[in-house]
Amino acid sequence: MIRNYLKIAWRNMVKNRLLSIVNIVGLSAGILFTFVISAYTWSELQVNAELKNADRQYILQSRWTGANMGYELVTIAPLAKALFEQYPTLISNYYRFDGITSTVSKGDKHFRESFQIGDSTLLRMYGFSLLHGDAQTALSDPYSVVLSEDAAKKYFAKTNVVGETISIENFSGAEHDFMVTGIIKNHSRNSVSSLLDDKENQFYLPIAAAQFFGREMVLWNNAHVVSYVELQKGVSPKQLEEPIRQLLKKNAPDFITLNLTQYLVPLNQYYLSKDNGLVKKMIYALSIIAFFILLMAVINFVNMSMSHSVTRLKEIGIRKVLGGLKKQMILQFLTESIVLVLFATLFAILLYAVSRNYFSSILGKSLPELTVFPLSFILLPFALALFVGTLAGIYPALVLSAFKTVDSLKGKLSTVKEKIWLRKTLVGFQFSIATIVFIGAIVVSQQIGYFFSKNIGYNKDYIVSAQVPRDWSSAGVSRMATIRTQLSALPQVSDVTLSFEVPDGRNSGSAAIYKVGADSTSAVSTQFLNTDEHFASTFGISLKAGAFFSQPGAFTDSSTVVINETQAKALGWKNADDAVGQRVRLIGRTDIYTVAGVTNDFHFGSMQESVPPITFVHVANSQVFRYFSVKLKPGDISNSLEALRKQWAVLMPGAPFEYKFMDETLRHLYKTEIQLRQAAYTAFLLALIIVLLGVLGLVSMSIQRRTKEIGIRKVLGSSVTNIILIFIKEFLFVIVIAGCIAFPIAFTLMQNWLNGYAYRVQITAIPFIISILLLGTISALLIALQTMKVAQSNPVKSLRTE
Amino acid sequence: MIELNHITKWANSGGNRVFLLRDINLTVKEGEFISIMGPSGSGKSTLLNVIGMLDEFNEGEYNFIGQPVHELKEKHRSQLYKSHIGFVFQAYHLIDELTVYENIETPLLYQNIKSSERQAIVADILDRFNIVGKKDLFPTQLSGGQQQLVGVARALVAKPKLILADEPTGNLNSKQGEEIMELFKQLNAEDGVTIIQATHSERNAAYGSKIINLLDGRIEK
Repeated sequence: MIRNYLKIAWRNMVKNRLLSIVNIVGLSAGILFTFVISAYTWSELQVNAELKNADRQYILQSRWTGANMGYELVTIAPLAKALFEQYPTLISNYYRFDGITSTVSKGDKHFRESFQIGDSTLLRMYGFSLLHGDAQTALSDPYSVVLSEDAAKKYFAKTNVVGETISIENFSGAEHDFMVTGIIKNHSRNSVSSLLDDKENQFYLPIAAAQFFGREMVLWNNAHVVSYVELQKGVSPKQLEEPIRQLLKKNAPDFITLNLTQYLVPLNQYYLSKDNGLVKKMIYALSIIAFFILLMAVINFVNMSMSHSVTRLKEIGIRKVLGGLKKQMILQFLTESIVLVLFATLFAILLYAVSRNYFSSILGKSLPELTVFPLSFILLPFALALFVGTLAGIYPALVLSAFKTVDSLKGKLSTVKEKIWLRKTLVGFQFSIATIVFIGAIVVSQQIGYFFSKNIGYNKDYIVSAQVPRDWSSAGVSRMATIRTQLSALPQVSDVTLSFEVPDGRNSGSAAIYKVGADSTSAVSTQFLNTDEHFASTFGISLKAGAFFSQPGAFTDSSTVVINETQAKALGWKNADDAVGQRVRLIGRTDIYTVAGVTNDFHFGSMQESVPPITFVHVANSQVFRYFSVKLKPGDISNSLEALRKQWAVLMPGAPFEYKFMDETLRHLYKTEIQLRQAAYTAFLLALIIVLLGVLGLVSMSIQRRTKEIGIRKVLGSSVTNIILIFIKEFLFVIVIAGCIAFPIAFTLMQNWLNGYAYRVQITAIPFIISILLLGTISALLIALQTMKVAQSNPVKSLRTE
Repeated sequence: MIELNHITKWANSGGNRVFLLRDINLTVKEGEFISIMGPSGSGKSTLLNVIGMLDEFNEGEYNFIGQPVHELKEKHRSQLYKSHIGFVFQAYHLIDELTVYENIETPLLYQNIKSSERQAIVADILDRFNIVGKKDLFPTQLSGGQQQLVGVARALVAKPKLILADEPTGNLNSKQGEEIMELFKQLNAEDGVTIIQATHSERNAAYGSKIINLLDGRIEK
């Protein structure tokens, strides 16, 4: 029997080729999106899952009583080690690292790279395997280095490079050769080798190398080390609370003991819940979108099957006369829809393989290849086909098989006609979703446009930033000042500034500031920016009052600071001019600073947060710096960059010129929003395809139903245009209703989203008008094309069909 | 075999009750060949549908081989006609997606007959109707007469006691029609199959052993 069903299913598919193709395309669009989101979710859930003893791996996190006292991610340097040594029944292993950045050289290759200076336990604790080298000894010599496979390929173009050397620069500009002692085999993503973002750490140095970089990992007041622990079997993180408190009390300075609480986060949850659960939120949002898109596709399928039911009705009638039971009819229809969905699923798998890279770039995460999935996943497409096929087929199957035998034999569609409102509702529902997604995409785009507009408070155009070698001393600062002058002398360059920060939201730190003469309890929190006096002119930040440290080139008194408008107000100066020349102090320091100027507010970080109070400190004073930011003159940019590169190489031999335009920096800052925009447009495109297929199905149904009416109208003298208009009108109504439902929902959703930003666009009528016009026009065109043929056909023919 | 007592059927159309069948009393014995005649709209098809249990009636009693049809549930009714009644239609009503062989096989599938047995039965009937060479063709590849032949073969394949034929020759030319009627006569005479046919044509009606005239849903005496 089942073979019989399959045979009929296949023949019906071949016979109604167009319908089948339309159905398969629509369904595969929905299934493809579901696959993409599932694959994305799966690969996000895989992060940290393949670590050895993943269920017992934890990361130590810090909770400080004050917002600006320390970072959450890092902890007291010797803590994890002490826990391991003194509580061996609780802790079975630990790994700590100090993350630094420096320049690596091999021959004429120079790149800035990130390093983990850490414990040798790394190579045994997490199940990383070495392609070459010995895990026991690889991280013992102070001048040894372990590379990732990719890093080995980058510098040596091969992986078997144990015994070769690379040269690494320290922070005072000295270079030393490090011998490669191991190559780590590529492994799946985890929060040990890529803690902050998706970039894998490529270089691992032994603890003993810390000295070369002027770092240490033994002092109890060093709260800047990332620490992981592996618990013994059966130990809960709660059991560690008391030992940690004891250790801190015994060893750490009071400031830490009083203000710091340590807590453990399991690594298998850490990735999903970090950054306020950003990853989790993204997974939820995308899953909801995928669900609705799949739902739309299924609705389409139902509509299409129903609109095609006339031809099947007769067959059902015959089958019933021949003794077929209702149950058997239902089974036959379900088989057909499951077979069709199976085809759509297989097609979607093919599409997945083809479009993987495209979706990877949209989601900003590389999606796994088909071969990466576990073998058991091969059952999933079949399970999906069975589920979606049943879901999509059960309604038509029930409706069609419930007809009275005699009626179906005559092909009477009277009862089907009565249910047309149901199908219209479903298509209306699809229109609503498409409209909501489209409005969402437009509003997100508008907000992103706002991020990149003039409202950021400075001029980001033509600015490139590149990191410079680190020599944090007064000699280093004056050397950089000389180089700055030489760079700015280039004809292609309009201005250059040396600073520790660029406007990417990441600054060196914060402190509490208060007016001299006022009580220290009146202090307000301020963010530090370390820049030279050219920062404002290079970035085009305008001044409200005073000067930006001094007139460019003039001597800068090391005790001057510049504040922004928000800071001035926070300190109680209503008028910016009042602040100039005033003196301020920082909590915990004895120095007195004089305010040299007040800048207009600008967006140093994301527009999610309101502009914080900012205090500019001169690099000559703080003696920390990272970037040269160069404002190029408009013109041939690639030529200018080439000239800059040449001059850079002459002035700072061996320093890589890895530049970034400000636009890129901003794109990185608003990465999530940009991904959301991409995802929204893709979802809209899919929704549009599906909704148009839905219209196609409903119109063909409508045409079938009204063939006779068209014939009569034509006989009575109606024009082709008039007839097409009849059909368009029928749908315009649906679209208008759908719009009425979609608008308030879209408005609320987007209002909600925008409320997450301190600076945002206002929602105007434009996205609503655009979306409804576009959907309406495209649908009307489609309907016109589809009805054209019927409207032009000879009425004698259509009248004869009755 | 068939006993219809005071069968009445009506339909509501715009508030008016339109009678399709009025007080039909009819007894058919096994082995009879009955022709029902009457003009268009006189209720021939409706009566056949009622006898074939495809359609329901509003009043009266219907006994089929001693079973009170009017008291049976849908499932039993379909069980009953599945195993005892074969249908032949004016428009053949073959399934276009199935070959001749598969069309004939379908009723057997619905009676859960084993594959090997099915093959034997279908092969038999193909042979008997001389259509072995056409078994892999689709209905659209056949002439009207051939299609109706397949239709009759399909009606007979499950060895029914009763054949209901609604204008079986209506779409055929006179020669093809004659062949089908000869076939019916032969089935009736040699196999003892009871046949009830509805027809317009006096000539075809004459093949039957008994003629019933219908007018406006009533049997004319």
